[in-house]
Amino acid sequence: MSAVISDPATASQSPTWHVASRLVHNRSFMIGAGLVLAIALLTLFAGWLAPFDPLRSSFRTRLRPPDATYWLGTDHFGRDILSRLLFGARISLTIGLLTALATGVAGTLIGATAGFFRPLDNPVMRLMDALMAFPAILLAIAVAAVLGASVPNVIIALAVATTPHTARIVRASVLIVREQEFVEAARALGATELRVLFRHVLPNALGPLIVRLTYVFATAILAEAALSFIGVGPPPPAPSFGSIIAQGRDFIAEAPWITIFPGFAIMVSVLGLNLLGDGLRDVLDPRMRT
Amino acid sequence: MPGVLQEGVRPQARTMEDEMKHWKGSGVAALGAALLLTVPGAAYAQSKGGDVVIGIVQAPPSLDAHVTTAQAARNITLHIYETLFARDNNAKPVPELAEGVKISEDGKTYVFPIRSGVKFHNGKELDANDVVASLERYRKTGASAALLNGIDTVRATGPREVTITLKEVQSTFLDNISSPRAPIAIYPAEEAAKPANQINYIGTGPFRFVEYKPDSHVKIERFDGYVLNPNAKGRDGLAGRKEVYLDSVTFRFMPEAGARNAALEAGEVQLLETVDGPTAKRLQSDKKYVVYKVLPFAFQVIKFNHAQPPTSDVNFRLAVQAALDMEEVMAISYPDIYQMDGAWLYPGASFYTTANTERYNQADLEAAKALLAKSGYKGEKLTFIVDNLRANTDTATVVQQRLKDIGIDVELSVADWPTVSKIGFTPTGWSFWAHGYGIEPYEGPASVMAPWVGGTSQQKKDETIDQLYAALTTTMDEGKRRQIFSDFQKHMYDNAVAMKAGNYGLFQVSNAKLKNFEPSRIPRMWGVWLEQN
Amino acid sequence: MARFLAKRIAGAFVVLALVSLMSFAIIWLVPGDPTAAFLDTSATPEQVARLRHELGLDQPMIIQMLDWYGRILHGDLGHSILLNRSVTAAILERLPVTLSLAGVALTLALIAGVSAGIVAAVNHNRWPDQVVMTAALFGLSVPDFWLGIMLILLLAVKFDFFPTGGYVPISEDPLGWLDSIVMPAMTLAVIQVGFIARMTRASMLEVLNQDFIRTADAKGLTRTEIMLHHGLPNALVPVLTVAGIVAGALLGGAVIIEQVFSIPGVGRLIIGGILSRDYPVIQGGLLFLAVIYLGVNLAVDILYAAVDPRVRLE
Repeated sequence: MSAVISDPATASQSPTWHVASRLVHNRSFMIGAGLVLAIALLTLFAGWLAPFDPLRSSFRTRLRPPDATYWLGTDHFGRDILSRLLFGARISLTIGLLTALATGVAGTLIGATAGFFRPLDNPVMRLMDALMAFPAILLAIAVAAVLGASVPNVIIALAVATTPHTARIVRASVLIVREQEFVEAARALGATELRVLFRHVLPNALGPLIVRLTYVFATAILAEAALSFIGVGPPPPAPSFGSIIAQGRDFIAEAPWITIFPGFAIMVSVLGLNLLGDGLRDVLDPRMRT
Repeated sequence: MPGVLQEGVRPQARTMEDEMKHWKGSGVAALGAALLLTVPGAAYAQSKGGDVVIGIVQAPPSLDAHVTTAQAARNITLHIYETLFARDNNAKPVPELAEGVKISEDGKTYVFPIRSGVKFHNGKELDANDVVASLERYRKTGASAALLNGIDTVRATGPREVTITLKEVQSTFLDNISSPRAPIAIYPAEEAAKPANQINYIGTGPFRFVEYKPDSHVKIERFDGYVLNPNAKGRDGLAGRKEVYLDSVTFRFMPEAGARNAALEAGEVQLLETVDGPTAKRLQSDKKYVVYKVLPFAFQVIKFNHAQPPTSDVNFRLAVQAALDMEEVMAISYPDIYQMDGAWLYPGASFYTTANTERYNQADLEAAKALLAKSGYKGEKLTFIVDNLRANTDTATVVQQRLKDIGIDVELSVADWPTVSKIGFTPTGWSFWAHGYGIEPYEGPASVMAPWVGGTSQQKKDETIDQLYAALTTTMDEGKRRQIFSDFQKHMYDNAVAMKAGNYGLFQVSNAKLKNFEPSRIPRMWGVWLEQN
Repeated sequence: MARFLAKRIAGAFVVLALVSLMSFAIIWLVPGDPTAAFLDTSATPEQVARLRHELGLDQPMIIQMLDWYGRILHGDLGHSILLNRSVTAAILERLPVTLSLAGVALTLALIAGVSAGIVAAVNHNRWPDQVVMTAALFGLSVPDFWLGIMLILLLAVKFDFFPTGGYVPISEDPLGWLDSIVMPAMTLAVIQVGFIARMTRASMLEVLNQDFIRTADAKGLTRTEIMLHHGLPNALVPVLTVAGIVAGALLGGAVIIEQVFSIPGVGRLIIGGILSRDYPVIQGGLLFLAVIYLGVNLAVDILYAAVDPRVRLE
């Protein structure tokens, strides 16, 4: 997924209903959307669905294997894994969504600046190249360790790690769109540069950005888990997918259920988002179709 | 990465009694001592030779014994170096390189006759100058230089006699010079003249230094010129008879638990100084290994910041003390390897007292609410700082949930040890902090009190503690000192200065071929041998 | 070509300068202090100050920075505080470990990914295509460290096929090395297999729609012949461009996988450095990985430009 080349003529310029109808007929999109919607609903109604308080510990019920009471077993605090997963999804998905939004804003600002204001292109993009030279996960770990463990800091860390690539994608689209005839036409009609950028260029570079952000959402869920595993994720006791796995690791031989179920939860969520992203890409960004 | 307070391990599950049925225990509950979980074969012939590899968690920051308090360092250096006095099985100071000590009537002058015929690894014979040079060096560069703060002068008053004068009476002086924390090792005078970390590793110990391969291992070998302490009868703590049967011992640095366990099971390593609970449980049914318990190994302590509200308010602290269910804390943080004990010393210690321990582990939410109502707490969010060692984070988590029940809002701030320990010694930014105290209770009453003196740990001076500590260190009468410590413990509970959650331990596992090993907080490689086959 | 080379290399140096500045700067944002790892809680402020001085931490930042640039120009990444040895030596010692892990993973990923991609493309829109693409999607969606734990649980704890972790150098015991590297390399490769399979399939399909293939088809060549003689070589060119990305991803992924399998590689060195405030290790390690990444991508770009002349005009 290196450079993404957009083709506004077939994508975002099409009327909305056209895009929508193509999405509805896209199998990837529909399956992905179904999965994501289902998880979102489970998450929203976690308070009603969860059989137990996800934070309430009791050493008398610790390390219970899955049974009729504790469907997915309990952890070493005696807390119900199912309830923790339902509430954990909330934090993991929030981190994923907010990371995608933060990256979207930062990536658009940086990418549009580089693509639209040519003198800034080289310095800005070299800076992005430098950030991309560090392995993204290591960069995120370093930033999270610097800022300290908390949900907002994890989001910042992940956004720092995912922004350079996003900026590159936005820049690439902007470079193509800005030379299009309708942009020239807008200029000729006396529109200011900023107006051209916001009214004409950016909306037409939106397709690849939306596709990218769907993938960032998915990647952020995976990365949150990895950060928690290293020990720089969101702090206890609030559960996230990653922190449940991290806490289960010490009990992996005794109580593997603590670790197994959240892994599947991550996989299903990420799979849903990836399918969604694939569907969106097929429709919004057809040149990248696979 | 962990400092000395991080001696803890990650052990697990079930209650003590349960375990005792599984593990044949011979309950030698001596100080800092260990329950031998499998009766050792007593009838084997001792055989000389063999190389033992010990898997240790971290590399020692230095092998210059004076400059570091890291457990990783002292576990090795106490094989290479010796001290004037050393701790016996009950952590009592007994003569090691000294023949004994003569203390003057006024308690201010200590005369140490030095044992004759003791050889350094370089062949030189130990004399008074070496002792003087080493003590002087420690006063300047020692990591716990405060141990020798009481000294006025150190002089060689004979070829094998050292006289120390103190500024004032200090009842803990022998405890101090025998402390294993950052051992006051006796070096040859010419090494003692060198700056920190630049010495050759030469001592009088039963092992001599061979090599330190950074990132890999430290190797030591039997010192054949070692002279056994003629005054010692048998193996006795860090003092006593140090007869070495092994040819060499290699301490291999293995930070990852999985790798350590794998190496033990592959036969590459014969001893692990710390093993997680599930692994210990698994190995203990296997005849190829012997599982040992070192319990108690440390206190689990929850500290308050007295410098800022609401933890500056005694009623608030008492409310928390009343609320907590320490069994819950210990059973979750240290499953399988904990003791419920509210005393501020290890069971078996000579000053051990149960004074005021009825206030330990009250788990009384109603009493807690009543006390809380008397405090100035208004429902604000409080910060519980804790490092990322699982057991400590678990303690914080359990406390947080419990305090929620009486309406105290606590937020966890988890970071790595360097960050947490930096914040925890400042007067702001935290209300609670939990970690282990291992070496202090081993060292004795003065060391248990010391962290609270001058308000170091609670960030506000506590006159009572400061006075008690001064009295303890300047009183020579044992009965009075006992009373002083008992008063200290009462004060800790009456004011909820800090809360002790319980004692925890650690598992050590050896290959069954390693014979006559006795678990202790510092794994000793003298007196043990490898069964040949 | 020469102009392209010069421009590309000059660009790489600018990035390199920025990367080294960032490597240096990041640790100044880290709270905490390396002295905490040496001294216990009873240490006095004077002791801490003395240790800081001995470690050079009391120098002004600008001095430390000049010192840093002066040294890295000579290939000296400084002295690790905790390991008590040079960072360069520590990295070089662990490099073979990380490279063998990433190398085996790359080989696995390329073999599995390219063949899966071909199978899918050849059977476009038939069941093997569906199976491969579904599997690839799962590969992209599984948390790799979790997969590693699951493999340990299944293949090491339950069935005892492989050790639970650790690393055996190939020079010491080639079989033991293979034993220790198979599980981590498989874990590390999974995501990349998914990625490469999708890339290969896409570029194969694109190539197969082009005129010269249709011509070959018209000439009466069998479908397999067309695929292997015309389709594959052309389809592999775009796959080459992602090799740089894959290599970078493997290096990054290795950081986590080394942690799961207790493999003493460069990634673990740096994570250990971050968690213990070992400034020189953090700085040197980050710089080192970034330089490798830049080098690999430069090489890939040049190779790509050599294969596909259109790139040079960009």
